Amino acid sequence: MQKTLDSPNLKKPALLWGGLLAIPLLAVILFAVAQPIKVVPRIGLAPGFIFTDMYGRQLTNEDLRGQIVIYNFTTTSCEAPCIDTAPIMQALQEFVKQLDTGGIPVTLVTISLDPERDTPERLQAYARKLNADPARWHFVTGSPERLKQVVGGGFELYYTQDEHGVFYFAPMLAIVDGNGILRARYKRGLEDVAIAERDLMLILEEARNSSGAAGLVYEAAHLFLCYPTY
Amino acid sequence: MSEHEHETQHSTGGEPGAEAHGENGWLHVEKWEGVWIRVAVAMTVVFIAAITVAAMSFGITVPGATARINPMTLNDPDSPFATPGIRELAPGKYEVYMVAQTWSFLPDRIEVPVGSEVTFYLTARDVIHGIKIANTNVNMMALPGQVSVLRAKFDKPGVYNYICHEYCGYFANSPIGHHTMYGQLIVTAPDNATETVQVTQ
Repeated sequence: MQKTLDSPNLKKPALLWGGLLAIPLLAVILFAVAQPIKVVPRIGLAPGFIFTDMYGRQLTNEDLRGQIVIYNFTTTSCEAPCIDTAPIMQALQEFVKQLDTGGIPVTLVTISLDPERDTPERLQAYARKLNADPARWHFVTGSPERLKQVVGGGFELYYTQDEHGVFYFAPMLAIVDGNGILRARYKRGLEDVAIAERDLMLILEEARNSSGAAGLVYEAAHLFLCYPTY
Repeated sequence: MSEHEHETQHSTGGEPGAEAHGENGWLHVEKWEGVWIRVAVAMTVVFIAAITVAAMSFGITVPGATARINPMTLNDPDSPFATPGIRELAPGKYEVYMVAQTWSFLPDRIEVPVGSEVTFYLTARDVIHGIKIANTNVNMMALPGQVSVLRAKFDKPGVYNYICHEYCGYFANSPIGHHTMYGQLIVTAPDNATETVQVTQ
């Protein structure tokens, strides 16, 4: 008789524990399905490099730590049919100028694939032509072997040079975050400006929320592949 | 003594309501039933652990839907799929743009030196295809409109055949060609490479 009285009372802790387990589980499922936070995927470690900029100074990937860096790959003599990414970089420079980045510097780097012709003087003239802000936009190049390792092997942009010294490559932009992780590569040309701007905002948002509990939530967003849809 | 009485009460039946519950009100579980429940739980834990370990340590990577592409634009002059094949990004690093179509792979022959790291970009021109390179980790779906990307390293020289592992359809008025959809990946050893150089010289 006593047992029959006991059993309904003892069901309650089971309900309580079940509920306590179900709430975080439901929260996780809701987070994974609704994706309230979007992040830009981490593609992999960006390549390390030592290049020479348009003033003859060295620029390394370590100098750019803590900055969000937008790269493009071109030559100063890129003319049709070569698709020039410089207008995209100009648009992004204007976008970044007007943007409140919350103290996180956003830098642009143009890597020239043609060290033979793109001397520092020529890069300086190119920068002036593009209205580049020297504090924000670097123009660099290096030896052909190093360029092949960094741009070909690291950023995975295929390029070749014919017997007349003309370079052939597809237009490409890349974004590297402050931790030196490659976050985005755009290979489709001019239509990517809007997507690049959106990704830049997301990377900045993540950098601002990278510490404490917010950082953990952003890590969860990476775990559940909360990536923006194209 | 009272415990013994309790046991006998159970075996004889007793009150129908009290029978389902054992000591302390918990559900009464038979000895062997309990053993098998524990075995089942332990197996689940072992399987989850095995999957986790395999995912972390065996280099298994799931091909991601990293990009979308309009199948109508595959032959556009600026599309890398217009000239499918292998390209050397840097020494030891290659990329392969591959198109699967009814019923062939473009390219159907890939040659890389041993130890190369190869990134495959795969899409389909028409219907759903798939690729499996035998004896390697490469196993991907090829969907029209989507680019599947997978990175692989080939450490053993040899000839690896690849096939379509998706029954990619039968069109009216055309013969079935699924079984003709295959290709070869040739991983060349360093001494083979010097041999061919000597031959061409």
